[in-house]
Formats: sequence, C-alpha cells, structure tokens
Amino acid sequence: MSAQEPEVEEKQQWEEELARVGLVRRLLRARRWYGADWWFVAISGVMVLGFLIVAFLPGLFARYAPDQQVGPRFLAPGAHPAVPILVAASGSGLVNLEDLAVGPDAEVSRPKVAVVRGLPTAGALRERAQVIDDQLQVTGDLRLRPSIERYDTLDEALQAVADGDVVAAVVGSDLFDADAAKFPTLAAGNDITGEQAAAGGFLLGTNQIGQDLFSRLVWGTRVALLIGFASAGVALVAGVPLGLIAGYAGGKLDRLLTLLMDSLYAFPGLILAIAITAVLGPSILNVIVAIAVLYVPTYYRIVRGQTLSVKEDVYVEAAQSIGATSGSILRRYIYPNVIPSISIIFSVNIADAILTGAGLSFLGLGLPPNTADWGIDVARGQEFIQSAWWLVTFPGLAIMMVVLAFTMMGEGLTEILNPKLRDR
Amino acid sequence: MSSPLYSIRNLTVEYKTRTGPARAVDDISLDIMRGEILGLVGESGCGKSTLGKALMRLHTGPARITAGELWFNDENLMELSSRRMRQLRGSKLGMVFQDPMTSLNPVQRVVDHLTETMLTHEPEWTKKAARERAEELVERLGILPERIDDYPHQMSGGMRQRVMISLAIALNCDLVIADEPTTSLDVIVEAKFLDLLKELQRDFNLTILLITHNIGVVAEVADRVAVMYAGKLAEVGDTFEVFAAPQHPYTQGLLRSVPNIKLDGAELYKMEGTPPNLLHPPSGCRFHPRCPNVMDICSVQEPGFDPLHPGDPHRVACWLYEEQPVKVVGDV
Amino acid sequence: MSDAMIEATGVTGGPAPDGDALVQVRGLVKHFPLQSGFLASLLNRGEVPAVQAVDGIDFDIRRGEVFGLAGESGSGKSTVGRLILNLLEPTAGRVSFDGVDLSTLSAGDMRRLRSRMQVIFQDPLASLNPRMTIGETIAHPSEIHQPELSAAERRRVVFEMLDAVGMSPPDNFADKYPHQISGGQRQRVVIARALVTRPDLIVADEPIAMADVSVRALLLDLMMRLKDEFDLTYLFITHDLATAKYVCDRIAVMYLGKIVEVGPLTSVYRGPLHPYTEALLDAVPVPDPLHRRTEPLPRGEIPNPINPPPGCRFHPRCPIAVAGVCDAEEPYLAGPNSDEGHLAACHLRTGAHQDLDSARFRPA
Repeated sequence: MSAQEPEVEEKQQWEEELARVGLVRRLLRARRWYGADWWFVAISGVMVLGFLIVAFLPGLFARYAPDQQVGPRFLAPGAHPAVPILVAASGSGLVNLEDLAVGPDAEVSRPKVAVVRGLPTAGALRERAQVIDDQLQVTGDLRLRPSIERYDTLDEALQAVADGDVVAAVVGSDLFDADAAKFPTLAAGNDITGEQAAAGGFLLGTNQIGQDLFSRLVWGTRVALLIGFASAGVALVAGVPLGLIAGYAGGKLDRLLTLLMDSLYAFPGLILAIAITAVLGPSILNVIVAIAVLYVPTYYRIVRGQTLSVKEDVYVEAAQSIGATSGSILRRYIYPNVIPSISIIFSVNIADAILTGAGLSFLGLGLPPNTADWGIDVARGQEFIQSAWWLVTFPGLAIMMVVLAFTMMGEGLTEILNPKLRDR
Repeated sequence: MSSPLYSIRNLTVEYKTRTGPARAVDDISLDIMRGEILGLVGESGCGKSTLGKALMRLHTGPARITAGELWFNDENLMELSSRRMRQLRGSKLGMVFQDPMTSLNPVQRVVDHLTETMLTHEPEWTKKAARERAEELVERLGILPERIDDYPHQMSGGMRQRVMISLAIALNCDLVIADEPTTSLDVIVEAKFLDLLKELQRDFNLTILLITHNIGVVAEVADRVAVMYAGKLAEVGDTFEVFAAPQHPYTQGLLRSVPNIKLDGAELYKMEGTPPNLLHPPSGCRFHPRCPNVMDICSVQEPGFDPLHPGDPHRVACWLYEEQPVKVVGDV
Repeated sequence: MSDAMIEATGVTGGPAPDGDALVQVRGLVKHFPLQSGFLASLLNRGEVPAVQAVDGIDFDIRRGEVFGLAGESGSGKSTVGRLILNLLEPTAGRVSFDGVDLSTLSAGDMRRLRSRMQVIFQDPLASLNPRMTIGETIAHPSEIHQPELSAAERRRVVFEMLDAVGMSPPDNFADKYPHQISGGQRQRVVIARALVTRPDLIVADEPIAMADVSVRALLLDLMMRLKDEFDLTYLFITHDLATAKYVCDRIAVMYLGKIVEVGPLTSVYRGPLHPYTEALLDAVPVPDPLHRRTEPLPRGEIPNPINPPPGCRFHPRCPIAVAGVCDAEEPYLAGPNSDEGHLAACHLRTGAHQDLDSARFRPA
C-alpha cells in the first residue's frame, strides 16, 4: 500500500495474468516473463524426464542384461567386437560353420580348418563344432568334425585356404578385415557362433568382464534414481515435520531436537554414511537409510528456521486470533509458507544423494557387489583408466549429468513457482 | 523576484518494466526558491519520492531520467560527470530519508559517520577539527554532544533523524531534500523535528524540499506547496492560498479527506476510485476518472500547467481554468 | 455512491449505561523479560530486567461503543490489544470478557470464545496468509466455529461477507490471492474475516495507518456502517488523534504503560486534563496553515520502558511538574466531579495537590 512504486504494480499485473491460467499453461506462458530461467527449467526438465524414462523402462534401452558377459573384454566404444568368422574361397559356398558338415560317405570326413596358433579362436572353433555336431547327430546323418590345422601367422593360414590346403579358416573378423586385400580370392563368412546381432552392438564398449557398458549404465540409472529419490524422500518426510514442530513449539523439545540434529549435521557426510552402511550391511535399502539420515538435519534446520520466522508473521497471529488450533495453524498457515524453500533443497538433495550413493558404492560399501551401479563401475574401472578409459569416463559422465539435471531443475523451478522470491 | 535555487525543467523519469516503460515523473517543471520550505505532497505511487531522488540524480532500481534539465547554481546537473555529482551530493545537496535506521550505517558510530562525510568533502580539515564541528552541530540540533559516540541503534528515531539533518548542514548544504522524514516518528517527536526544520531555515537560510503524504505536515511548515498526482503536478502555490482556496479538484478532495483535529462536527470526504496504474495512465488528464467536475475535454487532452492569472505564481493543471482548444470540424 | 459523508459520532450519541461493560480490565500488567545470561542475572541478583510494556491499567469497554486507545510508541497500546484478545498472557491482573475472566478458561473454551472477539491488524498484507485465497481466508473462522455448515452454505456466508464489505461481485474476489488485490481491498478482506463469526468485540490496531489518504475515509466509513449493521463494539487503537476524533466515543490516552487520561471524546479533546494529553493534542499536525502550532512541546523524549522514571512517568518532560511530588508518588486516575467519567492521573490536575497547579484546566 504505502510506497508502492510502479514496478510493484506491474508485477501484480502479470501475476494476475499468470494466476488466471492453470499450471501447465503457466509453465508455457512463463517463457514470456521468465526468459532465461524458463530455458533452464526446460532443458533440465527434459534431461530429468529422460533419465526417469530410462530408469522406468530400462529394457527399452539396454540391449543386454547388465550382469552377463556378452562380449569380448575391453572392447572400445563403437568398435566391432572381433568375432571368429569362417573364411573360405569365394564361390565355395562355405559361409557358416555348419556348411562344413559332411555326410558319412563323404570323401573327407574330417575337413581341415586353419587357425592361427596362440589365439583363442581354436577353442571357440572346437566348442562350436562340438555343439553343432551334437545337434547334427540328433537330426540326421551329417557330422561336423573339423580337423584343426595350426599355422604360425594369419597370412600362412589364409594362404593355406587360398592354396586349397585347408577347406576354410576360422580367424578373428578384425584380423581378416585388415588382411583381406591380400587374398582377393577369399571371402568372409559368418560368425561361427551364429550370432548376428553382436556386430556393432556395444555402444559404449565392454568392461573387463565382458559386460556391455551401455546396458550397465541404463540399469544403473534405475539404481541411482531410486537411491536419489528414496533417500531424499525419506529425509524430507522425516525432517520437515520435525522442523515444523520444533520451530513452532519451541522450548525443551526444540532444544533437544536441535541438539540431536546439529550433532548429526556436524558429521562429515560421507563418513557417516560409511559408518552406517558398514554397520547395517550391504543392501540398497540400507544405503537409502544411510543417505537419508545424512540429510534429515538439512531439512530440519531449514524448515525450523523458516517456521521460526513465519511463526512471527502477523497472519499466524491472526489465525490464532480466530481460534485455529495449533495443528490447523501448522498445516494451513505455516507449512504452505515454508514449503517453497524446500523445493530447491529437495532436488539438490536428490543430486547430492546420487553422488553420495555413487561414492559409497565406489568404496565398495552398501550395494551388493554384482549390482549394476555407476559407482561400482567407476570403482572397477579406475585401474584401467589409461588403457580402457571408457570404463571410468562414461559412468562418471552419467553421474555428472544426472546431478546437473536435478540441480538445474531445482533452481529453475523455484524461480518460476515462487515469483515473490525472485524479486529479492 | 529572486532566481530559483533549483530549477527543474521538463523532468521525466521512467521505470523500465517487463510490459513497457512507466513514467513515475512525467514532464514536470518546478522551481525551488532560495530559503523556502517547499512541500511536495501526494499519495503513494504518485512519484514524489522518485522526483526527490532524481534531483540528486540518484536512481532507484530500474528508474532512469529520460528527459529534462536540472538547473542548480547555474549548472545543468544532467550534464555533469558522476565525479562532479558526487562532489555536489553531501556538500551542496543533502538528503534525509524516511527510515533513519536503515540510512545510517549500523556498525559505524555517529561521530565517525559525520567526520567521514565532512572529511570527504573537505580533505584539508583535521580529524580533530571535524570532530569539534560535529559536536557543535549535534548540540545545535538538540542532541547531547556526548551522544555522538553512540551507534545508531542506541539512539531513538527522532535523534537519528536529527543526525541525518546534521549531516546535511555539516557542509552548509544549499538544498536539503527530505523524503518522508517524519513518517516513522511519533507525533511529538515529529512536531519537534518540524520546529527544527523551521529553525534551520531561519538560521542557516536552508532551502528544504519536504516530500510527504501528510497534508498536515505540509500545512505546518511549508511556505509553498506542490501537489503531485500520477507523475504530474496538479497544483503549486503559496501554502495559505492553496489551503484557503484549492483549485484543482484533486487538491480539494485531498484536503477534505484529511481529518482536522481542530474542527468540530466536520465530515470526512471520500474520494472515489484509486490512484492510477502508471503503466497505463488514463488518457488526457490523469485525474479525470475520479474527478467530480469532469468534462468531455478531460479524457481527451491533458491540460497545461499554467498560472491562474498571468503572472500568478499559483499554477494549476486543470481544464476548469484553461481555455479549451477550439474544436475544428472533423476533429474527434 | 458518490460523495458520501461520515458524521462524527459525538458524545451525545452515547454508549450504553454503566454496568454493561463488555470488557473489563483490572490491574493489567505485562512485562516482557529481556533475555539475560547467567552473568547478568547474577549481577541483578536474580531480578531480570523487563520491558514494562503495560504497568497496571484499569478500564471498561462498554457494549456498543467505540473505545479509543491512543498513545505513541512505547505506550503499550498494542500490547493491551493483544492482552484483551488473550493472544498474550498477562503478567498480572485480569481481563474479563462479558463477565468471564479469560485466565480461567481452558484452551478449548478460549478458542470457542474467540468467535466473539476478533482483531484487525495494521498491515493487511501481513495479516493475510499469502498461500490462501481470499475465500479460504474468510471461510476459515467459519470452518472453526460453524463446522456444521455445508460447503455450499459456507460459500454463501463468504459471499455475504464480501458483499458486506463492498467487494462485489464476490465471486470475482473469492479465488484471488492477497497479492492480487489492492491495499484497501485487503483491509476489507481482513474486516470481512473478522466479521464472519458475528463477534461482539473487534480490536482494531491502527486499521487505517497503512492505507492511502484517500482510502482511509472509505475504510473508516465502512467500519462505522458495519458497527451499526452487526452491532459491534470497537477497541480502536491508534496513534493518530485526528482520526480518533472522528470515530471514537470515549478515549483513553496511554503513556509508557499507564493510562494517563480517559473519558468521553469531546470532553477529553476540548478540556484535556493531563499535560501529556495536552501536548499530544497540540502536536498533531493540522491541515490548515492558519492554525499552525504555537504551543511549546514537552522537552526530551519518551524514556526507555525498561527503566521508567519514578513517580509519575511523565514528570521529566512535564512543564508543570513539581519536585518532591511528581517524582515521588505515582498518580492514579481521578476526575473533577462535574465530568462524567473523565479522569486523569495527575497530582496537580486531579490529584491531591491541585493547589500547586499553576494553570488549571487550560481549554484546548
């Protein structure tokens, strides 16, 4: 009323307009008024949404099960895994390993197949041949019992095929690709293991066990977000009511609670989390509890501080004067005016919880060891940081992106949802 | 007639808002005569505080002076460098704000505040000399000299306002701009402060621009009164004249809606409507939606701010006193 | 409605006859102890310094009147308002509402009693919950005290109230938030909220101080109309004696926690007995340059309420104070017999030492 400058009046005008539309339209229209902030929220909102979708529907994105060895170890991102393929003279019609099967009255019952000495393709060939042979025995009278000829080098092996000494060779696809030009008469067949899909299937490479890193990241999202939301949620549900009650009631209860919370708050976070998980044992629930305990004091302090100040506001006194009960005052007068300050805490809390969770699993605490989790991945990959850089980089990037997204969103949302704050 | 101490010519101050510029001060011309107390009165939002600050070229937030000239001591302040303006502020132009608690540095003793200001503008003085002068000053203003070692929070509101004034006269300011100086003060303290202003006017030939929404304050101390409405001047004239016979309908309404403790059985007048939105002010005369004497011309064209009679210092912006422009056939 | 006028309520209008006191205040004391550490309490020998906001006052508020409580800062008037509403507990003394001593009530009974006494605070923006719509705000007292109403009935009550305070059409306003309406409208909402439970008493603490000059008259007019319509009694707390003149039937002047003068309004304004009242009335700025103040003002400033002066609290500033008398004993309220209910606490004017007074009953 007094000393109202035009900017205050103007603010009221667009606030009026904003208040007339629903929340969705408000967010859309808000672009006109909030400018850069809107982009902040929009971009981070898209990111968070993306992460949420990945977390809810990992099957849609992850090709493989995260804990299974599905490919060669240490495959670089984007590289095709080397698969053992059949190499034969072009025009021979020999493409798959099964093509080498012969009937009982064939001239050569045991076709010769060349391999390069010292590489594991021999083992793969033998295994696969055995499997196919067993199958063939059941269905008919064809048999596959190749005779393995070892050569010292790839060139010798391929030369042998070209010369006709052997029927075919089984070599790694990458090796053959490199040398194929030298042997124009030879053609590459298929992967002897029969799997087609493996070619180009490892987007971000594989780790030292042969697990697909991308699938692990996808499944790790679920763990990370679960830990983030759950621990932030538990901390909120525990800390906010305590803060409200302590702030409003004051007196001994307030002093006791504050003492407790301050002691908890004084602990360095990670150390406290380590202690709790060490005591409780490894499980995702215990991690959630440990991190939640870490954050309860934050919510408590902020809510208590706000309550203390809101408590002195005239409209609270007015509520007392109309005869409202303490519970009603807390619920309808204090709580709604305290909550806006929490929204940014909540989303930054999620970000921080994810970070702490990753830290815990990095240290080997908390999560069962074969969970697909970013922290675990970072831990396992750190010794290979120079040779297989992707093992550490991609999980690390994932952590960073999630934390960034939630932090941005929290800040942006606060500005939009509480216009009064933004004018300070 | 002596020349004015401060001459405001066609001053416009705009606020940039998201939905367009708002003119808090719109093309105002006003002279402040040497040695007078000029009362600038208006309701909240009329732009009087903005005008006061603009006279020292102080900005509040997004407000900017977009047009006009400020003639002070034969200089147009709009053309001065910021260094020169800083020199003027405090030494020739002083300001007293509404809330003395926030305008005095809470962690600085009052004496330090005073001596610092003095030494900034008169660097050749010694600290001792500055301190002596400070003690003289506050005593002159009715504060016990030993109190100047206090911090602002240890003083009462009235004392703090006196400290503010002493800052102004410490360096022999020519003009003091007092923006709602008594609004936060109790009635008796306010009365004493107004007495002090009159004393300073008398003894130091101090010129004071007193900005307030309190008509009573203006009636008590001002020699001339200027009434502002929605960024424009409605009426300016000698206090006795304006109060005895207010010309502008807004002034009339304002005077009638203020309670007068000396009158018995009087009635309080209720003015219709609310002060306008400066973003979209009414067309023509800004007061026309609330005016009991409104005519057709009032919503179409703004009246000029002209003397009642030629040569009369009493000026009004109202079509009741102006010849309306002759309408040409075909014009709307 | 253009050009409506407020008629000053003169004393002749008259409050209800004696004995029909809605509120009775006896010996009311409120001290706010200062936070003191261990060391400080040692030094003070266990006595904690306190702000003596209200230090022993008695008065009645009669049914149907507008009782003014005037004073400057530090007088304790706002504290008195809160004590009457039992928003604060007295350090000593008693507040009775309609014959019931408030300190004897249980929490539940007190809450129920609140429906009969409501408050209007000074700052309407601060008095309204920024997160509740106007409709919700006004409905809340009804929810508490009239729980039997259905949602539709309650909405009707809310609309009635909005209409009563001049905010039409009501459905236009019911869903708005406080920051979306003007200052004058907010104060109307506060008034509407106060009236929902049809209270007997309304404590108005500087209700128009923050309103624009042109809006004040409208608000005062509204409050007086509602007083008639709803059969209200007002405790009108203000520092603005000029405004008080237009609405109050009786007025009490407070200084540093004590009532120094009380009586019918015209009686007090025309013939103030206490030197402080005189000074206060002189100091009010008059919007008429022909009536500029010429009278001298009391010296000094209001002392610290933590350590009020001994004897009569006004004596250090009083132009007629007599040493040995005024600094020794506290005066109590008394009045010349001819005046009905016009009392002042001054040794020299109404007390035992009237022979020492140099200028008796100076007319205003």
